[in-house]
Amino acid sequence: MGVVDLITRVNSICKKYEKYDLNKQREANVSGDDAFSRLYSAVESALETVLQKTEDLSSETNKAKAVAMNAEIRRTKARLLEGIPKLQRLALKQVKGLSKEELDVRNDLVLSLRDKIEAIPETSAPVVGGWEASTSYSNIRFDTNVSDHRIGSEYFEPTGESDQFKQEYEMKRIKQASDQGLDYIAEGLDTLKNMAQDINEELDRQEPLMDEIDTKIDKAATDLKSTNVRLKDTVTKLRSSRNFCIDIILLCILLGIAAFIYK
Amino acid sequence: MSSDPDKMMSKADKMTKLTLTRWSADWRGATELYEQAANGFRASNKYEKAKVALEKASKGQEMQASPWDAAKHMESAAALAQKLSIWNEVVDFYRKASELYVECGRAQPASDALGKAARALEDVKPDDAIQLYTDACEILEEDGRDQMAFDLYRACANVYIKLEKFTDAATFFLRLGVAADKCDATNSQCKAYLSAIILYLYAHDLQQAEKCYNDCSQIDAFLKSDQSRSASRLLTAYNEGDIEEIKKVASSSTVSNLDHMIIKLARKLPTGDVTAIQMNTNDDLDEDDLT
Repeated sequence: MGVVDLITRVNSICKKYEKYDLNKQREANVSGDDAFSRLYSAVESALETVLQKTEDLSSETNKAKAVAMNAEIRRTKARLLEGIPKLQRLALKQVKGLSKEELDVRNDLVLSLRDKIEAIPETSAPVVGGWEASTSYSNIRFDTNVSDHRIGSEYFEPTGESDQFKQEYEMKRIKQASDQGLDYIAEGLDTLKNMAQDINEELDRQEPLMDEIDTKIDKAATDLKSTNVRLKDTVTKLRSSRNFCIDIILLCILLGIAAFIYK
Repeated sequence: MSSDPDKMMSKADKMTKLTLTRWSADWRGATELYEQAANGFRASNKYEKAKVALEKASKGQEMQASPWDAAKHMESAAALAQKLSIWNEVVDFYRKASELYVECGRAQPASDALGKAARALEDVKPDDAIQLYTDACEILEEDGRDQMAFDLYRACANVYIKLEKFTDAATFFLRLGVAADKCDATNSQCKAYLSAIILYLYAHDLQQAEKCYNDCSQIDAFLKSDQSRSASRLLTAYNEGDIEEIKKVASSSTVSNLDHMIIKLARKLPTGDVTAIQMNTNDDLDEDDLT
């Protein structure tokens, strides 16, 4: 199934190039093509996907799905916020050909990005204690890696249920990497399984052909051997010294007769 | 021995015509001359004449009772006719070549010849192409080499898909399943059945698809396979009108391992409104689900 491979490859190549297109658009705004702008545009695109997910979430009716999507959004937010300090470090690094103003601009960009990330709303059904759909800092900051202790008690009352949710979320965060990895592995295994089965069938198909080739070649080989033997016999007979001498003697006689006639 | 192909042709023609001085045609010499003339014409790009020369060479070989060489010449003639786009000649020549191969008792080259013909005609005369593919598959099946027929069945189904005759294409996939069953190629068999079900769904035919699924589930190998699970998920998703689920199944890895044409169709599912499909009593097509 070479075509299936072709399709997977083309898909991945297209995805790669799509990334480049978006990058080009953003690099028009951010100067230079160094590590900073790359990371910045990556973070920005991730941010956009998260915003898209929040929009989808608002139209979601299935509660379980809403919860799952919430968890996803929180997960992505946490990851993005982890990337922010690195981005800041890159921003402060002096890069060749970059002026002082641009450096400041970068710093500001990083900070604004961070604000944007933290402002991602998480709308969920109000739990006892009132986790509202809000964009205020303290509520959202709770969900990030940065400051767990800033659980402003004036914003909500911790109940058993909310504690449970918190624990679940923590566990999910820990498992997130392995989940993703397992997903990738599962996909790869599926492709491998299919390829292996196809190879199996192809080999089955080619087995009788190989047998045929085998018999034909055996026959050809025996024919060749017998021909060789005959050829060897003929050649030895031709080149045997007796015949050779006879040929020379007869040739001399002929030459003698010719000389006699012409004299 | 003249090097001018035209002269060789006329000489060879004379050798084969019976006159008062010549009571039996000298086919051997004539065939040699025809072959050389054909090479000469091909070198000088006179394809029409080369084709004629090959035809006559093939006839000569036939007269000399060597159908293999005759068939080979016929195939070359057909290839030239293809280059010149004389389609009915292409069909005739390839058919003749295939018959000659069958005379030699070699089924594989026979079906290969028909397959080449069908591929040449796919765009121009798809109905003829389908007929050629079917004949090629029959030749192989008679000889008991079903596995070679898989590719031909798939190509034939692709032609039908291009013509948008989805139920016919599904029938061919089911025939592929039968052939696969004979040689225990369970993976191909299951993939063929899943493809058929997807085709029925693409053609808005939920009842047919379900019937097909039920029939195929009688077969043990299919029942236990991944493909059957994907098929049942797809059908339940259709019955519930769950578009998300349909899309998820269509982009799953099981579907992505099928033929590329089927993958394209699967990505386009669901065609039309899903809830409407259930209420829509489709005109029942009177074709067998399974051969």
